[in-house]
Amino acid sequence: MSANAPGTPLPQGIGRITPGWLTIVGLAAVAVALGIYAYSLEASEGLVATGLRDLGTMGGATWGLYVTFVVYFGGVAFGGVTLAALIRLLRLDELRPIGRLGQLLTVVALLLAAIAILVDLGQPLRGLVNLFLYARPQSPFFGTFTIVLSGYLFASLVYLYLDGRRDAAICARTPSRLRWLYRLWAAGYGDSPGERARHRRASFWLAVAIVPLLVVATSTLGFVFGLQAGRPGWYSAVQAPAFVTLAGVSGVGLLIVLAAVVRRVAGSEDRLGLNVFRRLGGLLLGLVLVYLFLLATELFTATYTGEVVERRLTEALLWGEFAGIFWAALAFFLLSLALLLWQALTRRWSIPLLVVAGLLVNLAAIGKRYLIVVPSQTHGQLLPYPEGSYTPALGEFAVIAGLFGLGVLLIALFMKVFPIVELPEEEVPAGA
Amino acid sequence: MRNVLTVLMVVVGFALQAISYFALAAPWVTTGVASGEPRVVGAPVLFIAGVVLVFLAAVVYELLPEKRGR
Amino acid sequence: MPKYAMAVDLERCQGCRACVEACKVENNTSQGVFWMHVFRLEEGEYPETRISFLPRPCQHCDNAPCVKVCPVGARYKRIDGLVLTDYERCIGCRYCEVACPYGVNFFNWKQPAENYYMDWSDPDIQPASGGEVPPYRNPELDGRYGSEQKQVAGGGHFRGIVEKCTFCVQRIEKGLQPACVTVCPVQALVFGDLEDQESPVSTYLRGKQSFRLLEETGTEPRVHYIGGRTPGTDVREIEPVEGRVGA
Ligand code: SF4
Ligand code: SF4
Repeated sequence: MSANAPGTPLPQGIGRITPGWLTIVGLAAVAVALGIYAYSLEASEGLVATGLRDLGTMGGATWGLYVTFVVYFGGVAFGGVTLAALIRLLRLDELRPIGRLGQLLTVVALLLAAIAILVDLGQPLRGLVNLFLYARPQSPFFGTFTIVLSGYLFASLVYLYLDGRRDAAICARTPSRLRWLYRLWAAGYGDSPGERARHRRASFWLAVAIVPLLVVATSTLGFVFGLQAGRPGWYSAVQAPAFVTLAGVSGVGLLIVLAAVVRRVAGSEDRLGLNVFRRLGGLLLGLVLVYLFLLATELFTATYTGEVVERRLTEALLWGEFAGIFWAALAFFLLSLALLLWQALTRRWSIPLLVVAGLLVNLAAIGKRYLIVVPSQTHGQLLPYPEGSYTPALGEFAVIAGLFGLGVLLIALFMKVFPIVELPEEEVPAGA
Repeated sequence: MRNVLTVLMVVVGFALQAISYFALAAPWVTTGVASGEPRVVGAPVLFIAGVVLVFLAAVVYELLPEKRGR
Repeated sequence: MPKYAMAVDLERCQGCRACVEACKVENNTSQGVFWMHVFRLEEGEYPETRISFLPRPCQHCDNAPCVKVCPVGARYKRIDGLVLTDYERCIGCRYCEVACPYGVNFFNWKQPAENYYMDWSDPDIQPASGGEVPPYRNPELDGRYGSEQKQVAGGGHFRGIVEKCTFCVQRIEKGLQPACVTVCPVQALVFGDLEDQESPVSTYLRGKQSFRLLEETGTEPRVHYIGGRTPGTDVREIEPVEGRVGA
């Protein structure tokens, strides 16, 4: 094995700082700094710095961009780790190279979701303490979900860790500044057949444990809205399945985009071949189809029933204040559907087109999350309050940009210390 | 030994989750005075500890017998 | 245990909003915060229009969605029926606010000191006030109430938490009526104990047609409306309160 020879560099450009990498990290750091600055203003003035206001007489929305992105990041996290677990469960060996990317995406997205929650709280420090002391399972969101979130953050870390041991052992064979880390990570892993079998068993059961619980967790996210009888547009049984499906859509879409980037910058064209992308594309196609079906059901129900507030809300969505976002999101969904269908039918898959589809679905997913959160508050009052309005403040956009920057930063850093694509299978080393 | 410990961790972990869930609040009481207050202060920490324990079992399972193995 | 409830006589209410003012004074609530609000509504097309008024305190629901969703148990229901917020527990997630169908919750968007109507430290008013800051804060609002001994009364205590109508818990515990009830010039608001057959609410509600707001949402409100009817679907609010907190 070539990695054994002294002088050979670590795989996938680990430890080598390139100008391109520096540019990306620099940009991400600027975004993070911007976000921190915006949040510091908010922390000193109070949430008055945002565009949020009270419902009712104040005519605002009290949940806005932050909650939108809590839901979005939660969805992405679900998509990443579920895919990684399904690869194990269904033995989709072709997709194995992106397993680690999925796990990493989950860890990062969960972290971002947690930060987005804290940023949204009026008393974040109290939140950190009180949620651990008093959290109640009857409260769908900030009670259960925060607990689930910390649990799953841990679960995906364990998953990432165990799955990475073999690669760490391989990396530890090459002398490098990070050797101590690889040794620590590998924890004596020798890649003997016994160890392999044990790892396979352990990760299989991990996957078994993770998938159903994640479905529950993401449904909880849907219940946050779906259980509120007093909020037209939220109270619906489709809410939970639609949340899970859209979570899958955005997760797989983002994974395609990330995989394409990694393929270029980590020089893994051979590992992340077209067959991986074809599989992902097919999966995305299926998920988008299911989601559009659910969306159609939801819309049909909303327009068909005569309930006045419900109808007013639908009108605001279709032709009123939110029409721009609504139709844009729908157009993005349909466009990506067309792109995917065309590739599936002609059997000519192209990575750039898949990336475009992945980006489109994610933009659409963000738009759709926004449309779930906001209109029911500004246009869904059951008492005769005047219509409300919500325009996110610049600071809110800056904080969100900071969150994305943090995500990019974390993934970029990871890529420089650890192989982000699973190293290829190799013969059992004789000396281990 | 390793198997015993792993299974034990999983069982204890799930038990902890179940117990703490009911310690958090009686989920079937959704109205009335009792519904506001969690029953045991700090039960969420127990719940998280349960989740952590279950998943840590996988680490134990893989890492433990290195020294006594062969 | 008493079972507190309120009756609102829509035939009597003349929309003067004295209760709104009394509530603000009694509870020291911040800018743009209306624990009590009176809708002034108009229905139909000119000249066939109909004006009506609808006072809206917190409904102190028996099956309160706000209590159910609170992640940390800060919002709770007392045995006597009051729905209150523990100001020292609330983390400001505003879930209660989106869950409540009546729009009665208010968040403290600003630092309390910056959120009052008059800034007494403003140099422009120094000549008039002579540097005096009037003792406008009611000390009873800082007390602890009920068997739980929690800080639940009054408004504007902390930044970043949610507050709402308390039925004037600090007055009820002294045997007084809520401020809005006391001040109403036509006695359109009646408060008391439903368990007690001789209490004002019980006698007032007896034998009368009454309804509760948005009963279809299953919240079981403790505020009963008499005379008039549930606002129709094409009502418009005239003279809406414009209370958007500015940055
Ligand atoms: S009216 Fe709203 S705030 Fe008041 S008890 Fe009912 S749900 Fe809670
Ligand atoms: S804002 Fe406060 S009272 Fe309302 S749900 Fe959140 S923690 Fe509970």
